[in-house]
Amino acid sequence: MKKNKNPLASLGLAFGLALGVSFSATAGEFDGVTLKVATWGGSWKANMEKIIVPKFEALGGKIEFVTGSPAANFAKLVAGRGRAPFDVMEVLDAQVGDFAQVDYLQPINLDLIPNKVNLQPFQYNTTYVGSWNTQETICYNTEKFAELGLPAPKTYADLAASELQDKVSLPDINSGAGLANFGGVIYAAGGDEQNIQPGLDLLKKINATKFWTRGGETKTQFESGDIYAAVVHAGWCTRAARAGSPVMTVHPEIKPGVKGLAKEGWLGIMKSSKNVKAAHWFINEYLTTDFQYEYAINSGVFPLNKDAIEKMKGDEINAKLMELRPDAISSMLRLDYSKVDKTAWIDGWNKTLTK
Amino acid sequence: MQTWTEKIIMFIWCGFSYVFLLSPMIVVMGASLHGGEFSAAIKFPPDEPSFQWYSKIPAEQFEALGLSLIVAAVATFIAALIAIPAALGLVRSNFKLKFAVSSVFRAPLQIPAIVSGIAFLQLYYLIFDTSGLMLAGTIPGMLLGHVFIATPFLFGTIVAVLQRFDHRLEEASYSLGAGRWRTLYRVTLPTIMPGIYSGGLYAFMVSFADVPMSIFLTAPGFVTYPVELFYAMENDFDPSILASSSLVIVFCLAMLLIVQKVVGLETLLRSGGGSAR
Amino acid sequence: MENRWIAYLIPPFIITLLLVAGSQFVFIQNSFYQDLGLGRTGTDLTLTNYLKFFSDSFYLKTFWITIKVSAIAALLTLFLGFPIAYVVARMKSKLAMFLLAGIVVSTFVTIVIKVFGLIIIFSADGLINKTLLNLGLIERAYSIIGTQEGVVIGLMHFTIGFSVLLLYSVVVTVPPSLEYAAQIHGASRFRVYQRVIIPLCAPGFVVGGLMIFNMCMGAFTSAALLGGGRILTLPVLVQRTVMMEVKYSTAASIAFVLLVSVILINLFSLIAIRRLRSARLVVA
Repeated sequence: MKKNKNPLASLGLAFGLALGVSFSATAGEFDGVTLKVATWGGSWKANMEKIIVPKFEALGGKIEFVTGSPAANFAKLVAGRGRAPFDVMEVLDAQVGDFAQVDYLQPINLDLIPNKVNLQPFQYNTTYVGSWNTQETICYNTEKFAELGLPAPKTYADLAASELQDKVSLPDINSGAGLANFGGVIYAAGGDEQNIQPGLDLLKKINATKFWTRGGETKTQFESGDIYAAVVHAGWCTRAARAGSPVMTVHPEIKPGVKGLAKEGWLGIMKSSKNVKAAHWFINEYLTTDFQYEYAINSGVFPLNKDAIEKMKGDEINAKLMELRPDAISSMLRLDYSKVDKTAWIDGWNKTLTK
Repeated sequence: MQTWTEKIIMFIWCGFSYVFLLSPMIVVMGASLHGGEFSAAIKFPPDEPSFQWYSKIPAEQFEALGLSLIVAAVATFIAALIAIPAALGLVRSNFKLKFAVSSVFRAPLQIPAIVSGIAFLQLYYLIFDTSGLMLAGTIPGMLLGHVFIATPFLFGTIVAVLQRFDHRLEEASYSLGAGRWRTLYRVTLPTIMPGIYSGGLYAFMVSFADVPMSIFLTAPGFVTYPVELFYAMENDFDPSILASSSLVIVFCLAMLLIVQKVVGLETLLRSGGGSAR
Repeated sequence: MENRWIAYLIPPFIITLLLVAGSQFVFIQNSFYQDLGLGRTGTDLTLTNYLKFFSDSFYLKTFWITIKVSAIAALLTLFLGFPIAYVVARMKSKLAMFLLAGIVVSTFVTIVIKVFGLIIIFSADGLINKTLLNLGLIERAYSIIGTQEGVVIGLMHFTIGFSVLLLYSVVVTVPPSLEYAAQIHGASRFRVYQRVIIPLCAPGFVVGGLMIFNMCMGAFTSAALLGGGRILTLPVLVQRTVMMEVKYSTAASIAFVLLVSVILINLFSLIAIRRLRSARLVVA
C-alpha cells in the first residue's frame, strides 16, 4: 500500500518545496498556516502529497500528516479528552455513533465547500462531508472455484460451502471494515441492527480461516494460495487483479432489492482546530474530480465525485470489478450506525467466533 | 564420555532447536532481497535476489528507528543513574527490609508490559486532568515508561556483580588514604563496570524491542520502530519493512560483537542471563 | 559507615516506588469504577467490571486459553531449549561461544521481526507447506495464523532465547566431574541422565519453566499477530478493549486479573526456589 519515496526524489521534493514556499510567500492566502490532517499512511498520504499539498503550498501554507487508523486516532482522542493533534480527521461511518457521544467536532460551514455539488445530498451534512466510499464485495479466485466445481458465489452464505472450509478470509471486527461487513452479513442472514444472531450463525458456518485486519493481507493471500475467497472491498480485489491474480468480485445479495454493501468515509473538523478556514479549503479540495479519481485508482476506494465515477469507466479492471452505475451504488446497503450497539456486536462476535 | 547414539541424538535435537530458533531471522534477511514488484508475493528464498528494497525504505521507518534508538539509549542511561546507587546502597547497607526494597526495584519485571502500558497511559491522563500536562505521546512520557522497564535489568546485574565483589579492595583503598569519591571512582565503579555494561545492554535491547508498552504511549506520527512494524503487519505492508528489519538484526549482531570486545560474552551470560528475571 | 550507603539508596528507591506505585495505583483504582464507555466511568467504587469478567464465559474462556497456550509453549520451549543449553555448557571449543552468540542475538531481536519470518515460512506457498505437500503429508496448505498452534509457536519464539540462557545457567552448576565419576563407577549413560543430570537440573527446570510460563502469560505481540483475531489471549484482549472499544476501565480490570495471576505464579515459583535452595539442590 505504501508508495516508496526514493531518497533522491524526496530530496528533490524538499528542494522544490523550499522554492515553492519562497515563490508564493507574498501572495498566500494561508501564509504561515500549518494544517494537520489525520489520515492513513501509505498510498493515502501519497495521493494528498501529490495533488492537494502543492496547491496549499502555493497559497503559502504547509500540510502535515498524522498517520494512523481512525480507530487508533479516536482512542487517543478520548484519552486526551478531545484535545486533537490535528485539524481535519478521516472518520469511518462506523465511528459516527461514537463521535455523536462526545463533543470533539465543530460544525462545517457548507458554503465554504462549493465542490459539494459533485456529491449526492446524503453525502454531506453540517458535521461531516463525505470523502469516499468502498464497495464491500466478495472477492474470489475464479480458477480455484472452477477447479472445485463451484459456481460463482452470489451471497455470503455461498462461502459456507464445504470445499471452502479454511479458504475464506473475513474482515476482523477490529478492522476498519469490520462493523460494515458484519452488518452486511447480518442483513443477508435475515437479521438487522438489533437482531444480530442470524449473522453470527452464518459467520460461524462460514468458519473463516482468518479474520483480516488489513485489506492488503487478502491480496497477498490470494497470490500465495492461502485463500480462495475473501470479503473485502472492491479496491483490494482490483489490486489483486492488477497484480495478476485471477479474481472477480461479487456484490452480495443482501435482501430483496438490495445488492451490495457500501462503507462511507467522512471528513470532520476538530473542535480544537484553530485553522478552520484552511480545514474547509482542504475538504473542498478533497472533492475535486482530479483528486477523487487519483485516490480511487491508487488507494482502491470509490470516488463520490460524479465526474470521477464517470472517469472510472475508462479503466478495464475497474469497469469489470466495480459497480459504476450511480443508482446501483445509491441502493447498496448502508448501515444505520446510530442503531448499532457496538458493545453488543463486539460481545456477540467475541463469544461466537473466537476459538 | 558420551556414547555415539547419545551424541547423534543430541546433535539432531540440538540442531533442530537451533534451526527453530534462528530460522525466522534468517528467513527475514533472505526474503528482504525480494526482487519483485511491490505487490509480488514475498518468498523465501527470493526469486530474483536484489537489494532494491533497501534503497526504498521510507523515511517514516528511519524516523521510527531513530526514535527507538534515542528512547532506548536515554532510558538506559537514566536507568543506570537509578540502578547504580540503588544497587550500591542495597548491597552495602545493612537493614531489615532489604528483601522488600529489592522487590520494589525488581517489581517492573513481574508486571506484564501490556499492563505497564495501560497503567502509564492512565497515569498520564490523570496528570493531564489535574495539571493540563500531557505526557502521553511525548518523549518524556515514552522515556518514563522505558526507564521503568529497563531499570530492573541494570539493578539485577549490578547487584549480582557487587555480591561477588571483594569488599576489602575498598578498605585497602581507604587505608591507603584515598577519599570516598576517589575510591568510588577508582575502585568500585571499575569493578562493577561489567555489570553495568551487560545490564545496560539488556536494558537497551528490551527497550529497543518493546511493543506492548510503547503501543499505548505512541501518538499519531510519534511511533517507535517495533510499533511501526507491528502496525505495518496489522494494517499496511511493504517489502521495505523486510529490509529495515534486516538492518535491525545486523544492528543487534553488531551490538553483541561490541560487547564481546568490551567485556566478553561470558560476563554477559553470567550477569545477564541469570538475573534477567 | 553503613548508614552512608543508605543515602545512596533512598533517592532511587523513592523514584522507583513512585513509578511502580503511582502507575499501578491509578489503573487499579480505575478498574473499580463502572465503565460507561469512551473513557467515562461511574462515580462509585464497584466490582462490576470484575463480576463481569468472572461471570462471562467469553472472558473465562480467554483466560483459560491464555493459561493453556502458555503452559504448552513453556513445556515445548524447555524441551527445545535444554539440548542447546546442555551442549553449549559442555562444549569447550570456541564454537560454544559462537552458538551462544546466536542465542543472545535472538533474544535481542524484537519478536515482531521473528513473527514476520514465521509468517513467511508458514505461508501457503512457503517452505514448510511446500515440503509437506510434496511429501504428501498434508492435503492442503496449513496456515498457522489464527490457530492455537500458531500462537504457541509465536510464544516459543518469544521465550526460547531467554530459556536457553536460563537453562545454561542451570546446567553449568552441574559439574561434568560428577558425570565422569558416575561413569567410572560403572553407570551407563542412561543411568547418568537418570540419576545425575536430570535430578540435579530438575529444580532449575521447574523454576525456569514457571518463569517462561509467566512470560508467555504476559506476551502480547506474538499472540496478537499470530492469533489473527481468532485466538485471543488476555494481553491481546486488553489492547483490543482499549483501542477498539475505548473502554479503559474494563481493560484495566482485565489487566489487573492478568497482573494478579502472574504475581501469584511468581510467588509460587519464589517459594519453590526457597524450598529447593534450602534443600541445597539448586543455584538458579
